[in-house]
Parts: sequence; C-alpha cells; structure tokens
Amino acid sequence: MTTLMTADGNPRSTKRRSQRRPDTWAGIGMSFPALLGLVLFIAIPFVYAIIFSLQNIQVSQAHPAKFWGLTEYVRLFTNPIDSGPFLRAMLNNFVFAAVVIPVQTGLALALAVLLNRKLKGVKIYRTFFFMPVVFPMALVAVIWRLILDRSSQGLLNSALNAVTFGHVQPHDWLGSSSTALASVILLSIWQGVGFQMIIVLAGLQEIPQERYEAASLDRAGAWQQFIHITVPGIRNTLIFVVLLTTILSFRVYDQVYILINTAGANQNATQTMLFQATNAVFNENDLGQASAISVILFVIVVIITVVQRAVLRQRNES
Amino acid sequence: MKSTRTTHRLAACVAVASVALVAGCSTSGSSSSSSASAGSGKGTISIWAHSGQPGENAALEAAVAGFNKSHPTIHANLRLISADTYTTTVTNTPKSQLPDVLEMDGPTVGAFAYNAKLAPLKQFVSASVVSNATAGAIAEGTSNNTLYALPMYDSALGLYANKKMLDAAGVKYPTSTADAWTPAEFLKALQVLAKANKSGKSLDIDESSLNQEWGTYGFSPVIQSAGGNLIQNGKATGVLNSAASIKAMTEFASWKPYVDPNADGNAFQDGRVALSWSGHWEYPVYSKAIGASNLLDLPLPNFGTGSKTGAGSWTWGIGAATKDGSAAGQFLDYLLDDQNVTAMTNADGAPPATKTAFAADKLYQPGGGLALWGQNLQHTCPASAITSTCVAIYRPVTAGYPTITSNFATALAAIFNGADPKTALTNAAKAIDQNFSDNNGYQQ
Repeated sequence: MTTLMTADGNPRSTKRRSQRRPDTWAGIGMSFPALLGLVLFIAIPFVYAIIFSLQNIQVSQAHPAKFWGLTEYVRLFTNPIDSGPFLRAMLNNFVFAAVVIPVQTGLALALAVLLNRKLKGVKIYRTFFFMPVVFPMALVAVIWRLILDRSSQGLLNSALNAVTFGHVQPHDWLGSSSTALASVILLSIWQGVGFQMIIVLAGLQEIPQERYEAASLDRAGAWQQFIHITVPGIRNTLIFVVLLTTILSFRVYDQVYILINTAGANQNATQTMLFQATNAVFNENDLGQASAISVILFVIVVIITVVQRAVLRQRNES
Repeated sequence: MKSTRTTHRLAACVAVASVALVAGCSTSGSSSSSSASAGSGKGTISIWAHSGQPGENAALEAAVAGFNKSHPTIHANLRLISADTYTTTVTNTPKSQLPDVLEMDGPTVGAFAYNAKLAPLKQFVSASVVSNATAGAIAEGTSNNTLYALPMYDSALGLYANKKMLDAAGVKYPTSTADAWTPAEFLKALQVLAKANKSGKSLDIDESSLNQEWGTYGFSPVIQSAGGNLIQNGKATGVLNSAASIKAMTEFASWKPYVDPNADGNAFQDGRVALSWSGHWEYPVYSKAIGASNLLDLPLPNFGTGSKTGAGSWTWGIGAATKDGSAAGQFLDYLLDDQNVTAMTNADGAPPATKTAFAADKLYQPGGGLALWGQNLQHTCPASAITSTCVAIYRPVTAGYPTITSNFATALAAIFNGADPKTALTNAAKAIDQNFSDNNGYQQ
C-alpha cells in the first residue's frame, strides 16, 4: 500500500506512463523467469494430472494407458473400496483445517500480543516460540513420536501417570482412532504457530503508538484497546494469516507421513488426501488415482480460497 | 522485440521438451520383448545397487574392484542409490536408461519383468551359476517360467528368544519347526513372560513398520500358516479374507498388550522383552547384546497347516536394453561366485543364496546360531504353490505385487491398531482384486 502511494505521488510517474510499451516489455521480461517456472513446474504438470486422471494408467507400464473418462472420480466418491479411505482422508483434512485455522490463528495472535510488550528479554521469548518453526517437520514428528509413545515410558503417558498419582493408565495416543488425529493436530499447531506469530507481530508493530496513547486518554481499557485498535490495525495481516493457514492445512503431509510410516499411527484416522495421492502413486504405481486425488484437492483449495477472499473482502468494504 | 520473440520460442521449446519428458516417463516402452544384445563382451557396463549397511556396500565395492582387476577388457561402473528410493527410481526410469546390471528387491521382479525392464538371464549367465542357485533363489527370480534374477543372499525370518528369560519364567519352547507353538501356546508364553518381566511386555514385532514391506514379509506367513494366502490364481477375495486368515489375524491382534512399542529399537537387547519376531539381520546385534549361547532361533507359531516363514531378499538382473549383455553376464558370474557371496554374507549375516556357499556357512548349518532357520530355508516354495511340507515361502511374483503388499500391510497395521480383521482384510482383498481387473489380471 505505502509503496504504491509514493509511486503515485512521484512526479516522474506521469512520464513513465507515457512510455508504457517499453515498461510493459520490461515487466514481462522481469517476470519471465518466474512465469516460466510456474508454467513448467505448476501449469504443465497440472494439465497432465487432469489428463492422467481420466485414464487407467500406471507408472512405467509396458501396456498403453486406456482412456476411461471419469471412472477414477466416480470410484473415489461412490465405490466403497476407494471411497471409504478417500472420504475419510477428506474428512480428516476438513477436521484438521476446522481446528487448526481458528486455534492456530488465535494462539498466534495471543502470543504476538503478549510478546509485543517492552519486557526484559522479550527477544528470548520470541526466539523460543519461533524455534519449532525452524525445526524441520521430520524432526518435530520424531520428537513427538517419543512424547506420544504408547508405552508407560512415553513422555506424555509417564507425565500423566505421575501427575494423577497413577490413576491414568498408558494410552495409545497415535494408534487409537479417537486420539490419533488430535495428536497430529496438536503437534502441527505447536510447530506452526511461531510462524504466524511472527507475521502478526510484524503487523502489530505497524500500528502507530499514538492511537494507544489517544485511547488511554479517552480511558479505554486494555480489552477495548485490543478490540478497537489492535484488531482493526492488523486486519489485513490476519486475513493473510488465515488464508495461509487454510492452504497449509489442506496440504498437510510431512507429519502424517512420518507418524504413519515410522510411529505406527492409525492410518485411517490420520491420513490426508495428499498422503493418499502419494501412497497411490509411490506404493501402488496407480498414477490415474493419484492424479484424480490431486485434481480434487486442487479444486477444494481453490473453492475455499475464493470463498474466503470474497467474504473477507466484502467485510473490508463495509 | 527480437529478443522477446526468441525467448518465446525458447519457452515453447522448453515446454515441448518437458511435455515430452513427462510423456516419456509415463509410458516407457511399448513392447514387452527384450531388446538386450550380447555386445562384444568388452567395454564399460553400468551397475545400480541399493545402498545398504556399510559392510554390504564395502563388500559390493570390493567385488566390483575385483571384477575390474580380473577382467581388463571390461570396466564395471557401480552406482549406489539410497535404499528408501531405490525401487521408485527403477520404476520411474524408462528401460532405455536403465543400467546393464541392476539390483532389485525380490518381490519387485514380477513388476519389472512385466514392464519389460529385465532381460531373460539364461542367455547371458553361465549355466553353472544358474544350477548353483538355491531352489528358493530360482523361485524368487522366475516370472512366467523365465528366469530374470539371481540373488547373492536370501533372508530368514523367525522368533528370537532370550533363553535365560524363558528358562527363568519356566516357559517351554519348541526345538524344531515341526514342534512349533500353537497360537494358544504362543499367547500363553507371551502372558507368562510378560508377567515375569518388570517391563510387563514380552514381544517385539517392530510394530511401527507394520504398514510397510516388513508387514507383508513378516506377517503374511501367519495367514499362510493358517491356510490362507495373499493371493491365489490372481484373486485375493476368498484367500486373503478367508475364515482361516481372519482367525489368524484376530490372534495376531490379541498379542498387542504384550508387545513393546520399541521406539528406541532396544527392547530385545535391553531385556524388556524375551521374544523378538524378526529376521537374520538382527543376529549380529542380538548375539552381541545377550550372548550367542543365550540367543535361541525359534520357528514362527503354527496357525494350522504347519509353521511357515518368509524368505527372499535383494536380487540381481540384467537391464532389458543392455548393449553389453555378455559383459553383464560375466559380471554376474563373478559376483555370484562363492568368494564374493561369502564376503557379502559375512558382512550382513544373511543366508547365502548359492548352494555351495550356503553349505559352507556355519551360521545356518547344524550347530550354528541360526541352524533352525537355515533348515527352514531348505524347504521353500513360491507363494503360488504352498505345500504342507514347505516352510519358507517367497512372496508372490506378479506385476500386481505393489498393490498386494500396500493393501495387506495397511490392513495389518489397522488390525493391530484395533480395526475389525474381517472388514480390514475384506476391503484389502477387494482393492487388490479391483486393481488386478483394472490391469487385465497382469497377463502378459
């Protein structure tokens, strides 16, 4: 926003407007490498995914692929063999998103507000909360595997046992269908919240201090200041964070893959659509089904993003 | 303007090239006939192998160096590829880009042969090498009555037991395969041993890898011992979810309370459990940790039709598009001689897959630490022809194996986590059958 305004106010800008053509070409030239990457690595593979999803096709098969229209899609939604795991994976994705988006955003906001004060050693706290973001998800999953271990020596089980004086028996957090997804959600929030916190923190520091001073003069309390100054002040930042969290929570994969394949997590309860797609192509060589799942995932993400943007923008205007 | 037009053209070229690349990757090879030629028997040959334990890699590198020294007109070029991605790499490489000689995991031979990535072996490898291969080695490498692969070593599966802990708990154990525990006796042993141990556990089954190849390798013998199978005559429904298979898997799930999760991989070595359902690869570690004289090798339980066990490991074949088949054959002749096989099995403790080297391996012969498992490997059969007398069963050789193993291992892990065995096995069987019918039964 600010850069745009200074460009408009710049007396040179009219001059530039008259030389539009070379400017346009320069723009195209400069965006070319990025566009080329997008076309090569996103657009073309995606067109191929659509084509593959309409065929009975396996990885590296000697026999020619057969076109069979929407069979893969029909199966994924109606044939119990395929739709059972697929619809469960989709449900897992939605539950994950429904919990992670509000909780992680809210937690990030709370942490950012807490760490936006002029405390001694606040940088140390910020570093601590940000640290899990720096850890690769693979490492986080391995650490949490030990925390959630089903034996009585597991960190969580032994802690609960000690706190309740032996009244809580060891629980199979990752193996049990009732707690497996909750465990994955918990570790994902723990790992991801620091990143959103830093973005919100940057937004908070953009809010001019004078507004708070004026509000205190008007005897506005801390809660009123938060609702009427802080939240409107970081509105765009929050929208960005929600959009980002939404997209990230639909492509959740790393932690699920690691926990299912190395920690014996309950696959039915934790698998996501992306996990299923990679499983189909890498374990079963089923390129057609993997492509169909990817296309469906893409459509879902696009729909949700468009709806979110429309809703949030409307509110912005009003 | 001129420069942008050039860049547009360049973009078009790159786009076309990448399309061609994708297309090339996805539909490699349209004919199933091998285009391998013998060549001059000279020149450079390329070799792909999985990167295994350090000792295995060293033995393989020494074998390649020895070959290059003794065959001055041929140069063998070895490339080690990470084991995690090895099969995916070979699967995704068009046959024209595959090396002259390649290693592969035993159960993938069927798929690679079906997809015309392998050359029939007998035209390039000496008859004496083929006749010295164990019966199991031939079963593992044969697809549609054609031999495509020969291994350096096999694998052995069974129960390890800590003799002192068994004796202290007063648990009687079988001393021969014929004498194997029944499921009831096995469960009783688990309960008694768990009670006698302060850990409260008695068995390690590497539970966190159940949904991977370990699950199929380690636990398909359970349903095969019960009288079921993964697949029979191209159909899984009726065998994978037969009443016998369901009963065996129900028994398997009942062991969970006595199974140590073994997140640190030291359950057996530290004495947290007295029994470990595992393979030959743990022998060096286990015998060192608890003492070779204290380490017993027991047969897997007998679920009804006799104790069964798994077998099969990495094996070697020749790429279908090789131009130096004769040189590749000479390399395999050299690699599969007693000296190189013994060097390899000394490094990884695996049972040798050639008759002469196996007979000379003290570990698997009477009196050796894994004598009972060695005995089991003398009675092998392919999964398509299980008899009452065979013990060690090789996994099915079919191009549909990836689907079979993925679905069975997923069902196995789900059952262990509490899913209903009947539902899980029936869904797995249906998924396998659907994949087979989609692919016309994987008929050539």
